Amino acid sequence: MKCRKFMAVLLIVALLATLVAGCGGGEESDGKTKLKVFLYLNDHESDIYKGMIDKFQQAHADTISEIEVQITTQDEYATTLTGMMTAGDLPDVFYVGPEAVDQYVENGYIENLTPYLEELGISTDGLMQDVLNSYRHNGETTGSGDLYALPKDSSVFAYAYNKDLFDEAGIPYPDPEDPYTYEEFVDVCKQLTKDTDGDGEIDQWGCGMANAFMFHQFIWSNGASFTSDDYRTVTIDTPEFKEAMQKYVDLTLVHKVTPTVEQDSSLGVYQRWLAGQEAFYACGTWDVAAFMDPETFPYNWDLCCFPTLSTGKSMTWLGTVGYCVSSQSEHKKEAVELINFLSTDEDGQREVSGITTGNSIQIPNVIDLAEGEFIEAVENGTVEYPSNVQVVFNYMNGTDYCGGRFMETNYTPNAEWCNIFFESMDKVKNGSMSVDDFIAEIQPQMQASLDEAWESIE
Amino acid sequence: MTQTSVKPAKPKMSQAARQENRWGLLFVAPPFVGFLIFMAFPIVFAFVASLTKWNGINNMLDNFVGLENYIKLFGDAKFWKVLGNTIIYMIGIPVGMILGLVIAVGMNRKIRGIKVLRTLYYIPVISSLVAVAILWMWVFNYDYGLLNSIIKFLTGKHGPNWLGDEFWVKVSMIIFMVWKGLGTSIILYLSGLQGIPKDYYEAATIDGATGWNLFRHITVPLVSPVTFYLLITGLIGGFQVFVEVLVMVPSGGLDYSAATVVFYLYEKAFSSRQMGYGSAMAFLLAIIIFIITAINFKGQDKWVKTID
Repeated sequence: MKCRKFMAVLLIVALLATLVAGCGGGEESDGKTKLKVFLYLNDHESDIYKGMIDKFQQAHADTISEIEVQITTQDEYATTLTGMMTAGDLPDVFYVGPEAVDQYVENGYIENLTPYLEELGISTDGLMQDVLNSYRHNGETTGSGDLYALPKDSSVFAYAYNKDLFDEAGIPYPDPEDPYTYEEFVDVCKQLTKDTDGDGEIDQWGCGMANAFMFHQFIWSNGASFTSDDYRTVTIDTPEFKEAMQKYVDLTLVHKVTPTVEQDSSLGVYQRWLAGQEAFYACGTWDVAAFMDPETFPYNWDLCCFPTLSTGKSMTWLGTVGYCVSSQSEHKKEAVELINFLSTDEDGQREVSGITTGNSIQIPNVIDLAEGEFIEAVENGTVEYPSNVQVVFNYMNGTDYCGGRFMETNYTPNAEWCNIFFESMDKVKNGSMSVDDFIAEIQPQMQASLDEAWESIE
Repeated sequence: MTQTSVKPAKPKMSQAARQENRWGLLFVAPPFVGFLIFMAFPIVFAFVASLTKWNGINNMLDNFVGLENYIKLFGDAKFWKVLGNTIIYMIGIPVGMILGLVIAVGMNRKIRGIKVLRTLYYIPVISSLVAVAILWMWVFNYDYGLLNSIIKFLTGKHGPNWLGDEFWVKVSMIIFMVWKGLGTSIILYLSGLQGIPKDYYEAATIDGATGWNLFRHITVPLVSPVTFYLLITGLIGGFQVFVEVLVMVPSGGLDYSAATVVFYLYEKAFSSRQMGYGSAMAFLLAIIIFIITAINFKGQDKWVKTID
């Protein structure tokens, strides 16, 4: 009996102890700082970034006792972060995307970095300013004012082609500085679409089109956009938008240079590109290391521009995610130093861009490094990169024939209004609905959802 | 006039009884505390959230909107659509029960290898839902899937786009859910069958009853408690279908044709950051489940028979 009582007490104590431990935050030990970092990274990135964080901690061993790094997947990230915000237990350093800067600032979650950067004497002049500006907030809107995050990376979604298929068909490679017009593109694609094994069914296509990632290029190049400039009105009923959409679905329905919707559902466009079944596909800067790996993609390939529509300018979307510092952090200065290190440390940037490792998962954040050492490394082959690397920088910096921008959903409180479009778009792509009917049906739903999104944060 | 109130004397507890009481309370404390923390608190939290425009980032209580979310739900066409989808999926419940009973009757005899067979049917139940859902994605694949390969072999024609078509995606989901749940129904029906006394059948046989009549008038009524249990759990589980959709048709299907209520509320809460609205939907769903379960319990007297 005694023994049982003892066990019961022990159990209860253990239970309470875990509860208490769950609530308590890790505080300082021996007067040194402990930082918490929460990120999403893939395995390859994770090794590199963990190494960088260790290096930073060792260099600051006299003030920082430990940096606790929590890593998750991109899918899980937002859910977990929301939980942390709700519980009031934010890590010192976490991610913010341009779309969330406004809400995070307004609700007081993230710290204004400008005073810290000034105090620490850190200059951000060497970073890509367009990207940096997407993390500025002036108290009203994002885009200008004080800095609230430093970029982890900035990415470009460029176009890519399979050189081997071009060689086979005896077609000259696309000129990276002179994008195809839509008509030229269709013509080239038609020559590359064929039945290679003679069984009467097409098994190689000119291109594959993943709607959610490759449709914006068409509408932007035709001077259209999903929304008005203030991101409040859905503008998919303009003639430019409808024309671009028609041309996009015509690739599948009229010119038949892409797999059909049904074929897409059997094997995704990405898998078909890897299998050498598509001559054109896209390549994000994060894809380069994978595409350069012959185990993943055993073909020669290079970068080029997306075809142009009526504006004559090839367009694509850019992406970025940044490091921010929690406004609840008790060690803001150290946290700012850490994110500055992760964002701009030259050795770290050399590693992630592949200058020292050979495998590139992002382009360097520091302009001098990107346009100097990085390009040199591409040219002399130390980093495995396709030779038309300039396409990436052209999209990022903008030229008279090509340019990049963020998707409209980067500026709206959520992306549901736009998802509605892509959920049903295949109805047009499989020929069961006309562009006009589809837009007439879907626009009111999108507008209602967008109104609700804006209303939800007011 | 004066009134004298008489306090009823409390029965005095002995020292030992009091102590025993205290220990008793201490023993029930862990599950009770667990219930408070992991059930009661989230329920209250979700209810409060459902009355606000909380988005996970803003302050919940500053954004109190009363019943607005609930009112909006009634006018939300997408909500009705996903509720419809969810109910359509429930066609799988009777299908699974009939198949389960038939197979259980077949298995309720001594034949060689019966244990192996029973185990095989139960494997889907203990397998990871995500893993088997991925497996079935390949079974349903348009060009390379097992199903369409068989269809092509038998008929020479290409089968339907199982997961890409607004109609067939529902059929696919029902097939998958029936397959996944079949093991449970079989095991439960088997135990039900084994609980039916042999003399019922013997008596009926003497009276001249044969196969179908025995099944219809003895077996079916006497396994009705199992049927009732399967119906209740099937309906409750049916309203909560989520993982199947998330894995097999992560976009929710063409024109949201595969999405369920829980899938929609998850997207609302975590993708669109409308936690308040999502919570309201969760609450409405809980109310629907509660009502349907209550109706079921009320109706059980009419058809659920017990052996005694």
